[in-house]
Amino acid sequence: MRDFLLRLRQVQSTSHGPRAWMGALGGVALLALSLVFIVGGYELGFGSLRRLGTGAFPMITGVILAVLSVAVIAADLRDDSELAQPDWISFAAIGGALVVFALTVGRIGLVPGVFLTTITASLPDPSLKFTGKAILGVIVALGCWALFIGLIDLPIKPFVGV
Amino acid sequence: MVILSGFGQGLLVAMQPENLLYCFLGVFLGTFIGVLPGIGSMAAISMLLPLTFYLDPTAALVMIAGVYYGAEYGGSIASILMNIPGTPSSSITCIDGYPMAREGRAGIALFTSAMASFGGGLIGMVVMAVLAPALASLALNFGPTEYFAVILLGLVAASAVSNGSPVKGISMVVAGLMLGTVGVDITTGAERFTMGIPEMRDGVHLVIVAMGLFGVGELIVSIRANATGAHQNDIDYAKFYPSRAEWKAMIGPIWRGAGIGSFFGALPGTGQTVASAVAYAVEKKVSPNKAMFGRGAVEGVAVPESANNSATQTAFIPTLPLGVPGSASMALVIGALMMYGIVPGPRLLIDHADLFWGLVASFLIGNVLLLILNIPMIGLWVRLLKIPYRYMYPTIIVLICMGVYSLNNNVFDIWLTLAFGWAGYLMRLFRFEPAPFLIGFVLGPMMEEQLRRAMLLSRGDPSVFLTRPISGTLIAITVLLLAWSIYAALKARREGRRIAAFSDE
Repeated sequence: MRDFLLRLRQVQSTSHGPRAWMGALGGVALLALSLVFIVGGYELGFGSLRRLGTGAFPMITGVILAVLSVAVIAADLRDDSELAQPDWISFAAIGGALVVFALTVGRIGLVPGVFLTTITASLPDPSLKFTGKAILGVIVALGCWALFIGLIDLPIKPFVGV
Repeated sequence: MVILSGFGQGLLVAMQPENLLYCFLGVFLGTFIGVLPGIGSMAAISMLLPLTFYLDPTAALVMIAGVYYGAEYGGSIASILMNIPGTPSSSITCIDGYPMAREGRAGIALFTSAMASFGGGLIGMVVMAVLAPALASLALNFGPTEYFAVILLGLVAASAVSNGSPVKGISMVVAGLMLGTVGVDITTGAERFTMGIPEMRDGVHLVIVAMGLFGVGELIVSIRANATGAHQNDIDYAKFYPSRAEWKAMIGPIWRGAGIGSFFGALPGTGQTVASAVAYAVEKKVSPNKAMFGRGAVEGVAVPESANNSATQTAFIPTLPLGVPGSASMALVIGALMMYGIVPGPRLLIDHADLFWGLVASFLIGNVLLLILNIPMIGLWVRLLKIPYRYMYPTIIVLICMGVYSLNNNVFDIWLTLAFGWAGYLMRLFRFEPAPFLIGFVLGPMMEEQLRRAMLLSRGDPSVFLTRPISGTLIAITVLLLAWSIYAALKARREGRRIAAFSDE
């Protein structure tokens, strides 16, 4: 696992960063969002100029965003510079940690949930061995138990089914 | 006289044990997070915002403000010792702070930074205490038309003056305005864009948007930045206090930095980074020691630190009396106030005078606390920087999860945070600024309400925005600002192409 991560990091650092024209995809996403709000606003009703309806503000902002996103697409398509190197490993690990937290905190309890979340978040760092990750997980989990349940008294179960 | 009595009343509020405690907690935690490279005041405030929900509004605002300027203080420590800015505005401090550290003058650089931050903070506080009530009494005459125009100006300033493309900045503001409409429409009671999900009926929580875009987004970026293992310069504690010549050299820049910082801090959209960059550029021109700039000049540390801390205090000038945040951090302050049912605006200084003056007085106390935290306790922060980041970031992500989960004890909020976190990272990667998005999101509901009221009062006549003198002037300024920012962006691009063509030849 450690060797795999090290190799993955190496591949990531030697590959080129994405080109700026790919930012046009962001413009496309904004255009799609604006269309959702224009159509949704229309269905909710514009009302009149005197009494603006529920859909008026989403429609107005939707139209403005549609125009702007076309400008963003046009500008980015002409830009051939290189963007910063993305860090997909950290992107996935941090996302994974949130997924683990969401799936575990209610099902198995705060302490094991936080333990697994910490380990998942620390996965992209090959410099920390698994034992180190596990010890860190235990410390953070116990710290959260003391702080959030012991001190702040949040209504979360430390363990479920124990 | 009114200001002095207000300030006296504020001191009584700020000196209450509860407010003192939260002021200390705010500046301590703010410095703690600000010291961590790559994580700025926005992430610090959003991470700690859920904690303030258990407090009374004054204590909460005092704590949030403490986190805000504490993070700015802390940001300079990593800049000086490691050449990695803890916050974007302290990047200017790296230019002279890091060379000073490499010459073995890290202690003097840190001392200069703390003194300049303190001086700048105090001057900014005085400017705020004088200008905010004056602005509030002017704004008492504002109707919905004027408010709409002020919000519009604030939004355009925040997006157009931000780094990068103004078109992308404005797109982000508009996207934020649109997200602000999600949930039940308070005027008609109709549901908008909730996709039938019950958790979306109240709209998306501010903490989730801020925590995702800034907490998670910045954390992903910071992992690589901190994994490189930048060299940390050691401090010689025997050489901590500046010589008489160095004291003399820092006094002028502190005043000049505070003046420039106070001005830019109060302008919506510019903020601390622009303030410290402009102050540095001006100082470099006027300083008798200009040859040393970039090679470890005391003035080069004093001026940006004074500027960014005075700007931190004066950023509250448009925020509290007008309800228009100049930056994303101030948008969070407005969002937090609204969660307590306190509407920012000119009435705030009358209806919640204790809160306003308590906050102003807490700046004085907070800055003194920061001086204590940053001079005698500097060793603590230096040791914190020595803790490997591999232990820090998993802990931070757990705290983010706990902060979001504690809002409603609902896992759905975590899924939304994940979506905003990934979106925040992709925005940064493709040069879309997340800060204008957050400002738009906070101001969206207010803007919609003022637009509806203005249209109702004018009987459906949109020309009212141009014919009323104050709103007409504000809209004219907005158009000019927009035109200037597009012109500046086009000019910069043309310049870039010319340089690229020249280097190809």
